[in-house]
Amino acid sequence: MLMPEPDQTVIDRRGDICGALRRMLPDGCVVDSTESMKAFDSDGLSAYRQVPLAVLLPETVDQIAAVMKYCHEQEIKVVPRGAGTSLSGGALPLADAVLLVLGKFNRILEVDYANRCVVAQPGVTNLAITHAVQGDGFYYAPDPSSQIACSVGGNVAENSGGVHCLKYGLTTNNLLGVEIVTIEGEILRFGGKHLDAGDYDLLGVMTGSEGLLGVVSEVTLRILQKPATARALLVGFDDTGDAGMAVGDVIGAGIIPAGMEMMDGLAINAAEDFANAGYPREAAALLIIELDGPEVEVDALIERVEKIVRAAGATSVRVSQSEDERNLFWAGRKSAFPAVGRISPDYLCMDGTIPRRRLPDMMRRMNSLSQQYGLRVANVFHAGDGNLHPLILFDANQPGELERAEEFGADILRSCVEMGGVLTGEHGVGVEKRDLMNIQFTEDDLKQQQRLKCAFDPGHLLNPGKVFPNLHRCAELGRLHVHKGKLPHPDLPRF
Amino acid sequence: MTDIVASDLQQVQDAVQDAVAAKSRLELRATGTKRHLGRTVSYDSILDVSAFNGIVDYQPEELVLTLRAGTPMDVVEAALAEARQMLAFEPPSMTRILGQAEPGVRGTIGGVIAANLSGPRRLTAGAARDYLLGFEAVSGRGEVFKSGGRVMKNVTGYDLSKLMCGSFGTLGVMDEITLKTLPAPETARSLLVGHDSFSDAVSGIASIFATSHEPGAAVILPKSIAAEEGVDLGKPFTLVIRLEGIEASVADRLGHLLTLSGGEPLDVGRSASLWLRIRDVQPLAEKPHDIWKVSCAPSDAPRVLAAIDRGLDIRMIADWAGGLIWVAGNSPRIGPALRGVIAELGSGFAMLVRDVGVTRETIEPFQPLPGPILELHRRVKASFDPLGVLNYERMHHGV
Repeated sequence: MLMPEPDQTVIDRRGDICGALRRMLPDGCVVDSTESMKAFDSDGLSAYRQVPLAVLLPETVDQIAAVMKYCHEQEIKVVPRGAGTSLSGGALPLADAVLLVLGKFNRILEVDYANRCVVAQPGVTNLAITHAVQGDGFYYAPDPSSQIACSVGGNVAENSGGVHCLKYGLTTNNLLGVEIVTIEGEILRFGGKHLDAGDYDLLGVMTGSEGLLGVVSEVTLRILQKPATARALLVGFDDTGDAGMAVGDVIGAGIIPAGMEMMDGLAINAAEDFANAGYPREAAALLIIELDGPEVEVDALIERVEKIVRAAGATSVRVSQSEDERNLFWAGRKSAFPAVGRISPDYLCMDGTIPRRRLPDMMRRMNSLSQQYGLRVANVFHAGDGNLHPLILFDANQPGELERAEEFGADILRSCVEMGGVLTGEHGVGVEKRDLMNIQFTEDDLKQQQRLKCAFDPGHLLNPGKVFPNLHRCAELGRLHVHKGKLPHPDLPRF
Repeated sequence: MTDIVASDLQQVQDAVQDAVAAKSRLELRATGTKRHLGRTVSYDSILDVSAFNGIVDYQPEELVLTLRAGTPMDVVEAALAEARQMLAFEPPSMTRILGQAEPGVRGTIGGVIAANLSGPRRLTAGAARDYLLGFEAVSGRGEVFKSGGRVMKNVTGYDLSKLMCGSFGTLGVMDEITLKTLPAPETARSLLVGHDSFSDAVSGIASIFATSHEPGAAVILPKSIAAEEGVDLGKPFTLVIRLEGIEASVADRLGHLLTLSGGEPLDVGRSASLWLRIRDVQPLAEKPHDIWKVSCAPSDAPRVLAAIDRGLDIRMIADWAGGLIWVAGNSPRIGPALRGVIAELGSGFAMLVRDVGVTRETIEPFQPLPGPILELHRRVKASFDPLGVLNYERMHHGV
């Protein structure tokens, strides 16, 4: 992975820059010893590491604005970081960039039940939002697997999902407003406690922009009343095609489960070894289907779903009879990643999405790629929305295996796009999938996205080297083509 | 003014590139049902995209519908109905308010998306912008570009779909769009609760939403309108709560809410026709009034109403639990009063949707933007359409 060539003139000014930043921030908020900065040299994509120019830990929005203004004037790059749990290298530092860490912004500012929302600082963890309101029966719906650690500001940057997206949406569907600080140091608000703004949906564009457009300094999140009850089915199949069909049949029958997860044989057994959840070890595919809502509704729909999956060829069906049993069904799925970690020294977690009906084709493709690369793959899917998480097993101590695993992963993502899907469903592009963007997008598609970037950050100072495989200067992107021999301003002299 | 009729992307590209070369301005139009939304601007040519019509791919069990932007809404609704699905954001028809371009003409899905129009279910199910999964369009540079995809879960690149929703054709000419669909509810019933004041009704909604009985929509009607709609309970305000789902669930939840809030149930048929009229703002459309659309935090709704309730002779409907207030009336003081209270509150917007006289000449139809946000809008506009070829200044000056 090639990152942009560091600007040596900035690195040479490091002492002066840190001095200026120290004058702007309280004591202890500028970290610049290599030893202390090591803790920040990577995020959840730990294969890539880089010590930044300096680590900044501001405490107020005005301090963020001051830092941004200074960096903008001095042409110093800025990499924003929340909790550092990105799985795509979104918060990977750069040698010539300051790392702006939002960890001290850890307060919930307001719980507003009248408008059913929470206003929070960006460093608050995802789960802390639910903790703040669950006593009154509310919760925050998006639940990425890292929810105990990941920050809500990072959730906005990555448009994080989770296992309940099918019914409750991603971050973007549960976010009412943000305050951001632009690279110029301006503090702007998009959205608020009202539902629709009558202007360009800049809130929507900020969400999932991976820290390239602005730094999120406050969020307003929609909270929901917790469903009265939830029950789950654990369904085994001896064929992954049948399992895929069953998922389509459930939705086709007009039922939107709260979650619908699939695991393949290797993942089932790894999870069962780890969690003893009572998974059917002999099954080729396992579905966990969760229904939530009013009790009468859940009971009625559980019956309907049971009929549908049996008709689709289920070989085993268990329906949770208690909250403990439902949690046990999930225990295996939720431990799938660490469980796979036990059966292999290392693994790569991929994240593509396909149209759900292509699942059997995808499984066949993965099996043949697995043989071709000589590496095993365990599969965990958010089956309801077609989001795949293949886990490629490898051993980094074997020369060449990491590269082979990465190539295998790239082939899986290429197949996702080929089958009508996309490179990433919820983990983001970051550095990990940056060089694959050309597979999904044309040059014109990517240029248009970068022009939008230029509207926010014409100097490419915010999180450069992420998302886009080629960096074009904004002036070059802004040029208009000559068409049919006509120029836009034929009267102007040209040299 | 000349008409350019385009039936494929190449023709749109040619038209836009010609406009770029000639520095002329295009007005995008399909059936023209929403052309009176926004500022009055004159254009050099109309780019007619009504031929961008038809469903490209619909996979109900995938919850994905791909179609061309000029597809009329009745075609969309018929296809969805056949699969017992819906667009969950409940797109309203604006023809009641704005009048039809031609008799019998319905608007298109592209118009719904461009104006980000959502109905009563928006409160709980999200807006049009939450259901646009991807699109292909021609920019004001004459280049074809796409964003998003045909799958439900996708974070690859910037989410330009959000930006296209509500951009009123100022950023691109959309061709193919992909929407997320959802199963239609098996049944829907409503609960009517009388309240002595508007703020009591707003609080009543908050307490209903603090239960797990899953209300799906909530509108407050003043007595005069409740009476016209046949749902007057003898109190100054009637709160209408809609519950959707399977029969057993709806009956059960309605029972719980009746115990909790009192009130009366509304049967399936009357519930459906009432919500259709609310969706299309029909109770206000029938009188020759200016109509304003106000978006605010639900708890601010009483303050918004207080600002315009002093002798201005208004009619109103407060949908989205109070978060969407439709205001009708003819006093020239309505607009400034709404803009004033929105400024005081510091969030929300007031948009002039219809004027029956000359209001549009005295006040901007869109909520004016704070300087730095307007500047960002201009930069965003320029990044898609540097010469202002597409629907220029339809929303804001210089955008």
